[in-house]
Amino acid sequence: MIKLKNITKVYRTKTIETTALNSIDLHVPKGEFLSIMGPSGCGKSTLLNIIGLLDEPSGGTILVDGHEVKKYASRSTANFRNEKLGFIFQSFHLIPDLNVIDNVELPLLYRKVSSKQRKEMAAAALESVGLANRKSHFPNQLSGGQKQRVAIARAIVGNPEIILADEPTGNLDSVMGDEVMSILTSLNKDNGTTIVMVTHDERMAKKTDRLIRLYDGSQVA
Amino acid sequence: MLTNYLKLAWRVLARRKFFTFISLFGISFTLGILMFALSFLQSELGTNTPLSNKDDFVYVEQLRLQRTYFDTITLVDTLFKAGVEVYDTTFELKESGTGASQTEMSNKIVDTYLADMRSAADMTMFNASNYHDVYVNGVKVSLNILMSDARYWTVFDHRLIEGRVFDEAEVNSAAQVIVISTKTAQNYFGREKNVVDEEMFIDNKTYKVIGLYPNKGKILPFVSPDAVSPYTTMDLSLIDNFYFGPFEVMYVAEPGAIDNLKSEINYAATLIPVDHPDNENDFKEVVFRPTTYDEMYAAGVLDVSNAEAEESLSTMKMILLGLLIFFTVLPTLNLININVSRILDRSSEIGVRKAFGAHQGDIISQFIVENIVVTILGGLIGLGIAWALISIINQGGYLGESVLMFNTKFFIYSFIITLVFGILSGFLPAYRMSKLQIVNALKENKL
Repeated sequence: MIKLKNITKVYRTKTIETTALNSIDLHVPKGEFLSIMGPSGCGKSTLLNIIGLLDEPSGGTILVDGHEVKKYASRSTANFRNEKLGFIFQSFHLIPDLNVIDNVELPLLYRKVSSKQRKEMAAAALESVGLANRKSHFPNQLSGGQKQRVAIARAIVGNPEIILADEPTGNLDSVMGDEVMSILTSLNKDNGTTIVMVTHDERMAKKTDRLIRLYDGSQVA
Repeated sequence: MLTNYLKLAWRVLARRKFFTFISLFGISFTLGILMFALSFLQSELGTNTPLSNKDDFVYVEQLRLQRTYFDTITLVDTLFKAGVEVYDTTFELKESGTGASQTEMSNKIVDTYLADMRSAADMTMFNASNYHDVYVNGVKVSLNILMSDARYWTVFDHRLIEGRVFDEAEVNSAAQVIVISTKTAQNYFGREKNVVDEEMFIDNKTYKVIGLYPNKGKILPFVSPDAVSPYTTMDLSLIDNFYFGPFEVMYVAEPGAIDNLKSEINYAATLIPVDHPDNENDFKEVVFRPTTYDEMYAAGVLDVSNAEAEESLSTMKMILLGLLIFFTVLPTLNLININVSRILDRSSEIGVRKAFGAHQGDIISQFIVENIVVTILGGLIGLGIAWALISIINQGGYLGESVLMFNTKFFIYSFIITLVFGILSGFLPAYRMSKLQIVNALKENKL
């Protein structure tokens, strides 16, 4: 499903060169729930961004679902992200000017889907995360857990094959964290969605199929 | 998609009240002032009645008799030639100035030299500065009565409210008839209609009112005088100078023949003899300075002599252009600046949208739609401001007798300007932000 070959990421300024990722080889098969752990600054989020085609590696190749990614700013990469990938961010990244249902249907705006169908799909996604009664609320009217569930609904509304979650429980208390985690687990088990999750939380990582650890940009386990 | 952009635009505007207020204030104020200025210019320079022919007008205000003085300048230098001191004298003839006499023309000059121009479709002669004091119920009213020929009414196409204008037969017979403006009707009769067949007593003569035209109040007095009467009712025997008198001439050039007409007028000046006894100062040359309406208007506004009219039009154009830049370009730059910060503020939204599949074009379209919505709103408010300004100024009479108009043409101009504003001020920042790398946009984390 996802193959990374010899991926490196180097940040350069005039005076300093920082290696964020160093020769990462990774294969995530279809249907796997993979977690990535490591101390702060070890390159976890950078790796996730590269898998999600949000950031360009400095070297190496990426194959997602057999598709080798070359041009990151192209229309075809944008379409690929839209159809195959779903994102969940630690800080939710909901658009404050939009209500819950409009936030959820956002990925469908960039597809040829009628307005009626968009509303139906978004309502179904909200239903699946238990927020059917919050459609007209705005993000600032929701709790952290509810926000993250809206973000999950947004990530799954377009039925992506892969969900990339960057510390999805990082800003939540343990009860809400567990709630979010159980939604992700059932997505993986019931729908066969491939999930790559970055986490700091060993307890959450243990609930996934496989765990890899990064240290100073290199994979150590 | 568009419905969605519109919905989003509306929500963004409603939620970000400060930006919305600043943007709307900037746009509406700028457009309001701009529309007001356009309305003023249209009122003064537009081709409305009685100035439908104004683009073909060529105006000869005065006749100038002049002479150029030359002086001989003698320069004496001392040189040494073979040890001997010698004087080296040079002479130079230099223009040292001009002496001139100029004023309006006699009817003889107009009839003999200016009446027959090949490139003129029409012409009229009038005595423009003809103020008379009349008394109504013991109160003095000063009237600017234009004395002209019958062709005044074809050159200046006043739209009559009632009655008729005088014809050539009435001019030839020196009929004591008068066509008056609504302002005069109000001042003299206390009403603005039903004045035909009434009588007016001016300078011990009785004039019969035969027509009524709307007062347009222009800076140039002959465009909308208080009243117009046949020039033959004046005592023409008092004009005893061959060159000078009270008359000015306005031509309507054949289409596209303004320059030819000016040349013909200048040529006519060379045919006027300078050896007439009335040329007491022995001037050597007769000169006319034909000007177009816009040149003459600019000279009037800038309060310079007719001689400088051509230059004053370009000066006025520069001033207007400067004002236009001041009132449009600066606010546009300011709006771009506001939009940059408004859009920068939403960089993480751009990141999220791009992460979920938005293309560069989608982002640009979204922000442009937002800007078009805000500028259209601002435009509508601006129209309201302009309308209010025009109404207040017209009602209060703050611009003398100038009556400002508000019509659909301005609305269309302003609407186009508004859209250009919207697209321009939204496109540049949206384009810049749409190129932002997703990961960098998300790092802003302002959501």
